[in-house]
Amino acid sequence: MTPTLISERAPAVAAPPADPRRRPRLADLGTPLLYAASLSTALVLAGLLIALVGQSPWDAASAMYDGSLADGAAIGQSIDQAAPLLLVAIGSVIAARAGIFNIGQEGQLLVGASVGAAIALFTPGPGPLVLILALLGAAVGGALWAAIAALLFYWRGVAVVISTLLLIFVANQAVSYAVNSPSLLREKAVAGQVTTSQTDMLAESVWLPRIGEYPDFNIGAGIFIALVLAVGTSVVLVRSRLGFRVRMLGLNPKAAHRAGVGAVLIGGGALLASGAFAGLAGGVMLTGSGHRMQDGFADNVGFDGLLVALVARDKPMLAVPVALFFGALRAGGGFLSATGVPRYIVAVVTALLVLATVFPAAYAEVRRRRTAGA
Amino acid sequence: MRPSPQASDTAVTTPDPRPRAGDDQPTAPSVLSAPIVQLLGIGKRFGAVRACEDVSLRVQAGEIHGLLGENGAGKSTLMKILLGLVVPDTGRILLRGEPATITDPSAAAAHGISMVHQHFSLVDRLSVWENVVLGDRGRVDRDRARTLVREVGRRYGLEVDPDACVEDLSTGQRQRVEIVKCLRRDPGVLILDEPTSVLTLEESRELFTVLRRVVADEGKAVILISHKLDEIVHATDRVTIMRQGRVVARRATADTDVRSLAREMVGRELSKWTAASAVGALDALIEPGTGEPTGGTALLDVREPAAAPAPDPRPPAGEVRLRISDAHASTTDRRPLLRGLTLEVRAGEILGLAGVEGNGQAALGDLLSSLLPLSAGRVEVCGAPVVAGRPGAMHAAGVGIVPEDRHVSGCVLDMSVAENLVLADLSSVTSKGLLSRRRMAARARQLIEEFEIATPSPDTPMRQLSGGNQQKVVLARELAAQPKVLVAAQPTRGLDIGAIEYMTERLHAAARSGIAVLLLSTELGEILTLSHRVAVIHRGAVVGEMDRADVDTERLGLLMGGQAA
Repeated sequence: MTPTLISERAPAVAAPPADPRRRPRLADLGTPLLYAASLSTALVLAGLLIALVGQSPWDAASAMYDGSLADGAAIGQSIDQAAPLLLVAIGSVIAARAGIFNIGQEGQLLVGASVGAAIALFTPGPGPLVLILALLGAAVGGALWAAIAALLFYWRGVAVVISTLLLIFVANQAVSYAVNSPSLLREKAVAGQVTTSQTDMLAESVWLPRIGEYPDFNIGAGIFIALVLAVGTSVVLVRSRLGFRVRMLGLNPKAAHRAGVGAVLIGGGALLASGAFAGLAGGVMLTGSGHRMQDGFADNVGFDGLLVALVARDKPMLAVPVALFFGALRAGGGFLSATGVPRYIVAVVTALLVLATVFPAAYAEVRRRRTAGA
Repeated sequence: MRPSPQASDTAVTTPDPRPRAGDDQPTAPSVLSAPIVQLLGIGKRFGAVRACEDVSLRVQAGEIHGLLGENGAGKSTLMKILLGLVVPDTGRILLRGEPATITDPSAAAAHGISMVHQHFSLVDRLSVWENVVLGDRGRVDRDRARTLVREVGRRYGLEVDPDACVEDLSTGQRQRVEIVKCLRRDPGVLILDEPTSVLTLEESRELFTVLRRVVADEGKAVILISHKLDEIVHATDRVTIMRQGRVVARRATADTDVRSLAREMVGRELSKWTAASAVGALDALIEPGTGEPTGGTALLDVREPAAAPAPDPRPPAGEVRLRISDAHASTTDRRPLLRGLTLEVRAGEILGLAGVEGNGQAALGDLLSSLLPLSAGRVEVCGAPVVAGRPGAMHAAGVGIVPEDRHVSGCVLDMSVAENLVLADLSSVTSKGLLSRRRMAARARQLIEEFEIATPSPDTPMRQLSGGNQQKVVLARELAAQPKVLVAAQPTRGLDIGAIEYMTERLHAAARSGIAVLLLSTELGEILTLSHRVAVIHRGAVVGEMDRADVDTERLGLLMGGQAA
């Protein structure tokens, strides 16, 4: 750049491996090809699988399309699916940037949603206020669930990956117990009706507002919450002092410690924030689409959101398109299973497509390490 | 002429290289006709950087061949080419007269070329014999491996306990394990990359004795990569000098001296103190007055003493800035690191803390980086106690540090130069919680200029800077915070002469401006060049202290070895 910056007797700066001119050209050519190749491989495999269970791959493909992109309603469906994924992903990004690998979003989401449901069901008051309280409560619930892992790590050194993962199972059982116990969240008995293990339907006044009417384009407000938070998180991480400290901690904990960044405060805070985002995702799912808690409520959104963060390489803004893609996959997959393709095949097909999107980045990383190591 | 009296009594018995061709070396005549390694016209470019250009190197069996040059002169690239880690653009390799293509390290190993790298590749938790056979195929035969380690050890004087756990070994012993790893494969060519940068004087001497045995007993060849002139002069038979990717001179070591080597390596004259420190010519530092016609004093003639920033032998009597009293600390598994360490550093002085590596220097560095809590004792900066181990406490109290391994706690490699320049002083570029890019860039530009940091731009990732420039970034940041105390731990390790000179001047300037400077170093030359006072650390405690003027190496050596003196 500016020649004044380079002192005159300085030797060549760049270390040999940094070869800024040739690398990008090669990579630019290779990456789209690699994406095309891995996506078509995934599609061929998916087609074969569907043919194997006796369905037409072509019909399946068009069902995927119909469910996710064909018309306004389908696109709205995809966007609705993307909102909680994006929220979970932002949280994962925050933790990952602080050097903490939280993989328990599924559990934090469940706990958050349950807290949100309890508030929404049992708090008297005007609808919008209760809605806001429920969403905040969901975030706090998720954060508290993550706080258990933070406590175990900073107090006893239990690895966060393990504790957050195992806490998912605890959360599953706890929530299942809550929705099965009449004294807790199980729906109230109505004379002449059998209760099942789910909560009451939330009052319509505490549902998230929707824009548009079926069968036209219609979406819930969740995506706007998620987008605002994605932008906010991006700004905080890149531009603020707090974000700088979080990144410093993630990149070099010792240098951060010396510079006055407390791992417990900043790192623990990042883990709690990550849990809060997962909990909020649960709250958005509850008030935005399901309107009641039941078994299987989380439906892998926590894990898929984690994948979104991985594919987006921990960049909040990149997570937006990735979450939309994953949302479309989920919407299309849901539609596909309605056409008679077995659910497990649908799961395998979506997993193949996810793998196809993750593979090129992973492959590039492996190549980079190989060449750097030589 | 002997280059220095050290050569005769301490380092190695430098054999006269010329009778080598005679009949007392039965293998010599046949080997002489075809050099064991011959590189012809080697060229290698990395993008715009020319690492090697038309380099030719000829190494005979039975000799220790020095490869001398500053960092970045192309020594390492040349050796990587010989090891098959880098493919040359041009040139040929001949091994024992036969053309050879070396495409990867295993091919190099098959040709009998093996290298001891500067950074060890040992598994700390495994024992010595396990490390030695690591990577072998087939059944693990413990007894055979242990016998092998002992046998190789006996043959070359590399005694090391095969059952010891590597993490319990000293740096010198670890290097022995690395050498045993290489020698047990009976290589024809043994390459050592800056082997003494982690060793004490004593260990270095032992190493050279070992190398002498290797080439004498076996008719092997050793290539010794170094930028230290003294050890090249003491340990090698012939030397090839590289500068900026080219061979600038080839010499028989006996026909040259430290002074001319230095000139050829750097391409210019050096101030005596830097040169003496950089090349480890201790005698020049200890007895500047004696008129012995040695290499060391020859070096003194290079420039008038007035030109060099020689430390004032009388320590200035400033107020005590840093006081550590009776500090005790241990690792999490209860191994003691500091055992009652006590020291004081005054404003305006440089206190050099000498000692053999692994005696608590790293722990002291960690303590002053807030990375190590104390189990007993206290640290005071300017009279006020500082809580050890609390994040940022030392920095807030005014302790700046250039740490031993800058990559661990000194900088964040994946952040930009500008970001690294503000790591701990974010408040100076923050308003309302948001960082000001403009102020950060302005500050970076100012420091880059002031400290002569060579970087393409302030936004360049730290990772892409050379070691010397990364060190400058760390130093610039610490000094910009206007510290009360500056700690420099092994500040010149791995740097070339230019960078060492720079560091030396900066530390002097810091002391002159009233900062209390604590220098931790295992290089006695560096301590003696820079310090006003010298203290010795042994097993986690300061065991002796003296003014620079009262230093005698005998006593220092005894103290460093743990004997009361």
